[in-house]
Amino acid sequence: MVKVYSMTSCPWCVKAKKYLESKGVAYQDCNIEEDEAARVACQKLSGDLMVPVITANDVDYVLGFDKAKIDALLSA
Amino acid sequence: MEKERKRRDVIVIGAGMAGLTAALYAGRSGLSVLVLESELVGGQIANAAGIENYPGLPGIGGGELIAAVQAQAEKFGAAVDEFDSIVRVELSAQPKIVETESAVYEAGAVILATGMKRRKLALPEAARYEGRGVHYCELCDGQAYAGKTVAVIGGGNAAVDAAEYLSKLAAKLYLIQRSELRADAASVERLRAHGNVEILLQTEPRALSGDGKLSAMTLFDKEAGAEKEIPMDGVFVNIGVEPNTALFADQVHLDKAGNVVAGEDCKTNLPGVFAAGDVRTKEVRQLTTAAADGTAAALGAAKYLRSPGKQNF
Repeated sequence: MVKVYSMTSCPWCVKAKKYLESKGVAYQDCNIEEDEAARVACQKLSGDLMVPVITANDVDYVLGFDKAKIDALLSA
Repeated sequence: MEKERKRRDVIVIGAGMAGLTAALYAGRSGLSVLVLESELVGGQIANAAGIENYPGLPGIGGGELIAAVQAQAEKFGAAVDEFDSIVRVELSAQPKIVETESAVYEAGAVILATGMKRRKLALPEAARYEGRGVHYCELCDGQAYAGKTVAVIGGGNAAVDAAEYLSKLAAKLYLIQRSELRADAASVERLRAHGNVEILLQTEPRALSGDGKLSAMTLFDKEAGAEKEIPMDGVFVNIGVEPNTALFADQVHLDKAGNVVAGEDCKTNLPGVFAAGDVRTKEVRQLTTAAADGTAAALGAAKYLRSPGKQNF
């Protein structure tokens, strides 16, 4: 399951989610402001609390909106 | 594989307030319109937490305002593509060519609404710390600095607003400005009300240091003529903007500051090419003037496309 660690007003998070939607990729939106478990998981995954963080396997991730890297992550 | 060729009456480059307003007016004029944006829809206001000076909508969030304008433009037939980046434009050709990663568009008219991009911190080591202590989006990266020491560099409204947002997260916040603050008095007043904020004027960043991640910043106090190093976990850079014209700088006339030369009618030196919003030569750069430019550019493009020989470009 693709997960997007995000924050409500983060514009790059919105763009990352719209990009996944444009490609028909289902994802789970994990809001680190509203969900403590998501906050902990995001920090554990990336070592930080910067968003968006996109992961497909809870191991590899892309920090920030980078179309090419997201495409590579999804096709891996 | 050869890219698909497509035709649009108007292509708008940039989906900030100017570009989306242009799309709204062009759509309402019955023109087929595509807006291309490779960064953030909304441009500079995509990051704005609250906008206090847009008439009739006090305190509206930047994202909320721009989403409403986009929806309004789309209601009248405009399309916005924020994922297909432009690789090349030919603005003096007729029809005009806008080539993206996936298609080659032929357009009767082009509206340049590329706005401004944030200036990067001019220290040689700044790029090395980008994402590891040096940041350009407080709404994306601010949470990482909860309870820590951060600085905002800059003195305009965007810098002061960023500082106010971060002051609610950080244990200590410095606002560092090389001269005096240029932000609205009301915004500065709001920032000063936070007990953890220290404003350092006449102060320049001189160096960043830290092992892999930022841990200290050296500042130069211009009045004292002395340098000092302070512990620093994160720096958010808000030192102004510059015109975003790399895509077409060799094709349209630019002024000395790099803005596209065009008057209030938004006409550039090239027939059928208009410049709207912050990227245009002008005195006042506000959301309201961007909306006004978008209007003038779209109506100008509609008039241009109605002129003899242009209907079927």
